[in-house]
Amino acid sequence: MAQEQLLALLHSVLNAVTLGAVVLDHERRVVLWNDWMTKHAGITPAQALGAEFFALFPALRGGRVDAAIGQALYNHFPSLLSQSLNKAPFPLYANAAVAAVATDLHDRLQQAVAVTPVDLAGAPRHCLIQISDVSIAVGREKLLREQTMVLRSQTFSDGLTGIANRRHFDVAMEREHRRARRHGTPLSLLMIDIDHFKAYNDHYGHQKGDGCLIQVAAALSAMLKRSADLMARYGGEEFAMILPDTDTAQAMQMAETIRARAQQLAIPHAHGGDAGVVTVSIGVATRHADAPIGIEGLIGAADRALYQAKRRGRNRVEV
Amino acid sequence: MVELSELENDALIEIFNIGVGQAAASMSALVNEEVRMSVPSISFINRTEAARLLGSRLASEADAPDRICGVSQHYEGAFDTDAILMFPEDKSLELVRLMVGETVPLQELTDMEQEAMCEIGNIILNACIGTLANVFQQELRGSLPEYHVGTSVEILGASGSEPDSVVLMLHIDFALDKHQILGYVAFVLDVSALHDLKEQINHYIARAMGQA
Amino acid sequence: MTDAPSAQAKTVLIVDDSRVSRMMARQYILHLQPGWTVVEAATGEESLDKAREAQPDLVLMDVNMPGMGGIAAAEQLRRESATLPISLLTANVQSATRERAEALSLHFMEKPITEARIAQLLALAGG
Repeated sequence: MAQEQLLALLHSVLNAVTLGAVVLDHERRVVLWNDWMTKHAGITPAQALGAEFFALFPALRGGRVDAAIGQALYNHFPSLLSQSLNKAPFPLYANAAVAAVATDLHDRLQQAVAVTPVDLAGAPRHCLIQISDVSIAVGREKLLREQTMVLRSQTFSDGLTGIANRRHFDVAMEREHRRARRHGTPLSLLMIDIDHFKAYNDHYGHQKGDGCLIQVAAALSAMLKRSADLMARYGGEEFAMILPDTDTAQAMQMAETIRARAQQLAIPHAHGGDAGVVTVSIGVATRHADAPIGIEGLIGAADRALYQAKRRGRNRVEV
Repeated sequence: MVELSELENDALIEIFNIGVGQAAASMSALVNEEVRMSVPSISFINRTEAARLLGSRLASEADAPDRICGVSQHYEGAFDTDAILMFPEDKSLELVRLMVGETVPLQELTDMEQEAMCEIGNIILNACIGTLANVFQQELRGSLPEYHVGTSVEILGASGSEPDSVVLMLHIDFALDKHQILGYVAFVLDVSALHDLKEQINHYIARAMGQA
Repeated sequence: MTDAPSAQAKTVLIVDDSRVSRMMARQYILHLQPGWTVVEAATGEESLDKAREAQPDLVLMDVNMPGMGGIAAAEQLRRESATLPISLLTANVQSATRERAEALSLHFMEKPITEARIAQLLALAGG
């Protein structure tokens, strides 16, 4: 095959492969940009070729991709960016329509990235960035994991009410706290305590007491909207609700809705508060990115708020 | 067996501590948490001995007591070596869980987590060899990481080296959050690589003493 | 950076458990400022004694040391002198380290130690 023909063939192949291929020269300028990149980054070769890499992707400066490019160009080492440790580093989308309405990382293609050095005769080292779309694999992982969680929920459920138990709460709290810390999202915690529960047990008996717990637990956990929200039995008559990605205002709203719902159940309680039915007190606490507190701190704050709610007359929400 | 003078030992440990320190900084940036790593000691042993050491030191109480997870990369240029990062299987799972931030069952190391382990190996090994290469002012090329799981004998033998090859073994102390994990990095070196390494260390020390 | 050494000879205390590290730092310092004095310590604990003894104008403190550790030793030195220029030396530069250094009015410098980096540090003591 003649050189020219070969070159044309290679060019066609590069544009036909189903992964992103970008080559940078020693000064980090784009010298090769394939059709896959054009399609998913919404940047044409005319715009990309000759442009400085960080001019095209300013958000990547100082991060793992930046370091990997440096490793390839200066140390001659390849780097792997796994999809689990690097959530969608490049702004790549399934198509232009999705890109137009995208709001966060979840809208991007899930990516596995490899950065490798490329030697070129008569020129300083270049580097190749390969990007694969692994969205399907990520989706499948998530499904597998959810199924496993369902199977494991037996050891994580409270025997009486069937909702999550304290152990599940602890595990979930650690996970969500870490996630909130990592992504800078707000994490809210509601501590919900049934008012005058001892009095209820004393006057209606422990069996009815258990029934009350089951009813309240069922009603309140039915109110959870998102898969990451968790309602757990924290203690005897105490429940805890973990609400990730929820700020104080939203948490207060949810708490008030819960308080009202509990009262709505109209479980008769002649020896409780003024309402004549079973009510709950709720303490709300939120961890914000700009006021970071640890897990104990968050639980402590919610507990203190709960205590306030009790002190101020019960059947109320405090923060 | 290879004997290093106190000064040579000191020099290598310091170089590797710089390497893993930089790796820790990279990993810390990935997870937005404090990560600390250090190399408290190094030793030179032959491959068979290394396998035995890893087999007994890293053995956990799990059903397959000898199972180790390793990530290997091949380097060549100024010297040739296979570098392998190793953790006992449950520790590597723990490490990945900590880094990835998910609660997953201990028994399952799925493809995605293997990939995460590969990246961790890639970061740590590149940092160690990179620092070595920079300090020695040498050129090296590296390969992409490969994941292995098996006995210490299998993992150390995967590179196809001779059983009497020398292994430069690094103890690695890894700390994230309240968790501490002990692992190893092994560099499998043939005779000429070993010779090159010794020569380079001596040049380095000579420069340190102002004699070069 | 001027060619002539600084008029006033200063003392630098290097703290690092690696002898080679201390040797390299000493080389660089004396190359840049031949008239200065270099004192060494191998541990955090030793650095406290050496500091009281030698009254250095600058302290270079390795972070990763067994026993007391660099940050604890630097903290102690800072308690004994609010103005002594102290710089942490570490290969592991992350936000937690930066914040701690700032809180204690410490500088920090990335490892590996190079002559250029030493030059920057000597400037803290007026070199």
